Amino acid sequence: MTGRLFLNAFVALTAAFLVLPILAIVPAAFSAQSFIRLPPDAWSLRWWGTFFNDVSWRVTLLASLKVAAFTTLISVVAGTAAALGIARSGPRARRLLTSLFLGPVVTPAIVLAVALYSMARATGLVGTTMALVIAHTMLALPFVVLNVGVSLDGLDRRLLLAAAGLGAGDFHIFRTVTLPLIAPGVVGGAVFAFVTSFDEVVLSIFLAGPTVKTLPVRIWEEIRLAYTPVVAVGATVMLVLALGAASANRLLSRK
Amino acid sequence: MSLPPGHPKEGLLPPGGKARSAKGALIRAAHRLGAAALIAPALLIAVFAFLVPLARLIGLSFSAPAGPFVPYAHLLGDDVYARVFANTFIIAIVVTVVALVIAFPVAFALTRLPRTWRGIVFACVLLPLWISVLVRTFSWMLLLERNGPINRFIVASGLSDQPLSLLFNHTAVLIGMVHVLLPYAVLPIYAALVRIDPALLRASEGLGASSVTTFRRVLFPLALSGVATAATFTFLLALGFFVTPALLGGASSLTLSMLIDGFVSDRLDWPLAAAASVLLLAAALVVVAVAARFVPVGAIARVHR
Repeated sequence: MTGRLFLNAFVALTAAFLVLPILAIVPAAFSAQSFIRLPPDAWSLRWWGTFFNDVSWRVTLLASLKVAAFTTLISVVAGTAAALGIARSGPRARRLLTSLFLGPVVTPAIVLAVALYSMARATGLVGTTMALVIAHTMLALPFVVLNVGVSLDGLDRRLLLAAAGLGAGDFHIFRTVTLPLIAPGVVGGAVFAFVTSFDEVVLSIFLAGPTVKTLPVRIWEEIRLAYTPVVAVGATVMLVLALGAASANRLLSRK
Repeated sequence: MSLPPGHPKEGLLPPGGKARSAKGALIRAAHRLGAAALIAPALLIAVFAFLVPLARLIGLSFSAPAGPFVPYAHLLGDDVYARVFANTFIIAIVVTVVALVIAFPVAFALTRLPRTWRGIVFACVLLPLWISVLVRTFSWMLLLERNGPINRFIVASGLSDQPLSLLFNHTAVLIGMVHVLLPYAVLPIYAALVRIDPALLRASEGLGASSVTTFRRVLFPLALSGVATAATFTFLLALGFFVTPALLGGASSLTLSMLIDGFVSDRLDWPLAAAASVLLLAAALVVVAVAARFVPVGAIARVHR
């Protein structure tokens, strides 16, 4: 009995250790001072005003949203198509393609960053939205392929046969039978792709430039110099968006 | 007739495919072409944004003016770099061990908790995975600061008469990395534990084994595949960690990732940066290859979701 009590206390402590420290940035964002002290001696919204009024911060947020939107669109279309193609391939091609698409997941981020930075320099793409979208799409693709793949595995093949037997064409079957059935996987993949891009730091640090800079890159640069509470506002914005995505995923996957 | 039974494509083909083998072959060819067309866009991205840059990087590592193997000799022959390699491995090992030791009881408790509590603890494990490593690391910077809440508590409670330097050292890196990587350790162990048939544990207890013996002889061996997956994934991620050690670590906690960043950003020595990247990549691939003998690689990716 004491063992059970001890175990539960340990689990509660670990759960608190996982979640509570992350929230430290929130009070820091509502400071009235020009430096970060936790908890702040005086509270205000002044740094939120700075974040949303200062063009240099606003453009980073917009750049992040834009890159994440393009990344989501491309990786969902290409990833869903790839998952459908992989499901139709033979076992050997299937294994080969799966390992290729999983490559970016097991490769250290700094290695991908240096490799892509060198490539982007050679092609003159450093500091462009395109470089960031390509890099983030490469990172997000595996999650879409996996998510849609799992949905496809659970698909009842007889439904496709029935549709074909009733005379429906390939695309018609996809639109009216396959897509509605794998929709949760596609939407889940989309949410993952968006967050992967929006949260990404390491590749973006190398590929971003003075004109195109995402929010995490700006936060990274500020943290390494001297930072004011406006960085905590930026971090809180990232936190809120991530929590929004997590709840969206939960609501959508419940069906 | 057109496809051997049990072939994955069997049942996907329109029924007409079974009638005549010539028609079947045609449909099969069209099917294969369709699959190739569907895979093409993603394949293009994987090739040009992943394989080609990596191949170029490997090429770059042999492109030093002084000779193709000079960067490697430089990296492997220098005491300073040897310390960085050792440091990277030690941090990764310690983080993995600490994460496993915390994760196992949590995963075990998750299999026993009533539904509501299990949901809450699960949410606490999964939620951090959605939040950027940068945000999570920045939080620790604020907490461990000289004037941060932890130091103020230490001073106020009389544990120390002046603030401790908690930031920019090995301990800070360790705390931050365990915090980020713990969920990756909990999930595979939990997945292995829920698959264990409770009847086996009841049988062990029914035969008079103590709970310690049941744990040691039944539960732990059956959970070993999950522990191996957890260890692999935690170690793999820890090995290539960049953001957390770069922000929480001090000059003495230099890791291989930070070294590579320094070669590119400060020294602009591309062959050296590329060679160091190839060494890190090789280490990661060895970990994956060794782990693949024990755990399905697919399981590793599934943890990541």
